[in-house]
Amino acid sequence: MKLICLVKFVPDVDSFNYDYENSVLIREKVRLLLNPDDACAVAFALKVKATRPETSVEVVTMAPATVTPYMEDLLRIGVDRGTIIADRLFAGSDTFATATVLARYLSDQNYDAILTGTHAIDGDTSHIPAQLGACLDLNQMSGIVRIDEQRFSLASAVVDVETEDEVATYEMALPAILSLTRDSKYKLPYASRKDLARDVSDQLNLMTNRELAFEIDEVGLNGSKTKVVQTYTKEFDQKSRIVVQADDEGADFVCKFLKEKGFI
Amino acid sequence: MKRCLVYLDEKELKDSIDLLGAVRQVYAGEAYETTGVTIGYMIEPVRGAFDKVIQVMHPDLKPFDPMAVTEVLVELQNSHGFDSILVPATPFGRMIAPRLAMRLKTGLVADVTAISRNGNELKVIRPAYSGRIMAGIQYIGDGPVMMSIRQGVFHADNPVEKTTLTETFTPSFVRDGKIQRLAVKQKEQIYDIRESDVLVSGGGGVIGNFHQLEQLAQKLGGQVSASRKIVDQGLAPRSIQVGQSGKNVSPKLYIALGINGAIQHVEGLKQVENIISVNINRDAPICSLSDIVVEGDAVAFIEKLVTRLDQEKFELSSKSVGSKN
Repeated sequence: MKLICLVKFVPDVDSFNYDYENSVLIREKVRLLLNPDDACAVAFALKVKATRPETSVEVVTMAPATVTPYMEDLLRIGVDRGTIIADRLFAGSDTFATATVLARYLSDQNYDAILTGTHAIDGDTSHIPAQLGACLDLNQMSGIVRIDEQRFSLASAVVDVETEDEVATYEMALPAILSLTRDSKYKLPYASRKDLARDVSDQLNLMTNRELAFEIDEVGLNGSKTKVVQTYTKEFDQKSRIVVQADDEGADFVCKFLKEKGFI
Repeated sequence: MKRCLVYLDEKELKDSIDLLGAVRQVYAGEAYETTGVTIGYMIEPVRGAFDKVIQVMHPDLKPFDPMAVTEVLVELQNSHGFDSILVPATPFGRMIAPRLAMRLKTGLVADVTAISRNGNELKVIRPAYSGRIMAGIQYIGDGPVMMSIRQGVFHADNPVEKTTLTETFTPSFVRDGKIQRLAVKQKEQIYDIRESDVLVSGGGGVIGNFHQLEQLAQKLGGQVSASRKIVDQGLAPRSIQVGQSGKNVSPKLYIALGINGAIQHVEGLKQVENIISVNINRDAPICSLSDIVVEGDAVAFIEKLVTRLDQEKFELSSKSVGSKN
């Protein structure tokens, strides 16, 4: 069984800084991490491989080649092949152009299922999996919290999708695009000491536009259907706040406030 | 006359109708017509809100099949030629909107929270980086304008009761997405934090004692909510998460315990009347939005406040006993 996982390495939004004077993101020193939902997709694929050794797992990302060390980390925990799709021509692609690039690579590959995350913590459009579904003519399901391992076969997958008010179980014919959420709680394994030092460079595959052969107006900003024209941080109205201490006096004050406002 | 199609998600009908508030801003000052589309269900509840409602009916159409539903919408667009297509950012809406945009080869903006129009120039705003940054986005090309709209941001605002025309649309062909629904289990419904008057909310500062919030919430007749940090730790269900990746809330009182107040969180608090925050850092972002900032340990303060509220109740009840005598 061949599983392809699509992933994105994202800035850790919790350690994220913004230059308010110049209105730009401070990208330097921002730690990247494997997007949490995508990590679940890889973790599930590796889980399948652990019980069915004939399974092969490929991880695909569209990112600058600087993500190579992050990709190598995945190869060291059992991913068979890592593909980085990188070309300066692709920079500035919106989701439409990004899906177009990914689809061209994927349409030349063999796979039984494509596993992805549902949300990314940076852009969080959730567009790519569904857009790829349209490009590759595959069905796609978001919000998956569980894939039934026993019933995961070449023919179909049984998945649980959780929304606010219900958990629905679907059976989907494969190949299809299955998009997990971090609530699935599939966890990546750790690399063994031996694997930490392993040279994995021969499992890395770099794809550029030389292989994908797009015209210049098909990708990047030129191939996009939307463009970002401004970014800003939100300003909130400051209230004239009162500061008290977390002691008995503070509790008295809060209690009085609640009484005045009619909450007690 | 511009024509806008609104996808009506059966599960979130009110939020879907509220997209009329967004359409109004897309066509500010211009004449437009609204059409709602329902897939495989009756349209009575939305009658009067739209100029027209199209009810898609076909015996083979499974309304939960993203591929099939998208293909129906492609056919609908091809035959009707709408200028814009708006979809609520519900789980299903967010699956079909990108598919449809790709099939129509048009641009899509996700989870839109604001729309501005300057002459012919349309700009839509959406949050990025978990709400830390807002991005203004424009469309390129001449395909229909497509966006998914964040729930709870736009409001239909008592639209004029319209004489809604209805049309039944039978697709010429239903694509089989080869998907079966085997079972649906309703989740135990806990409260909806969007409807609470009082929310006692916890963040990283109460991570080991989150359960204690319940006690305070009870005393105030309110409910417990949480920040992303708490939910990601698995200490609370995602349904009670406040903020960009959770819900926008509008209680009369919001008590933020040990919540730092990253933009992604305060984004969900814009319509809150009174905010009390308890934080060891008096300059935490949430504190600048607060009416009262309590500086110190949130867990210790919960206990103090609960004790104080008990006292208050006791005094009140003994007073009322006293007056009877």
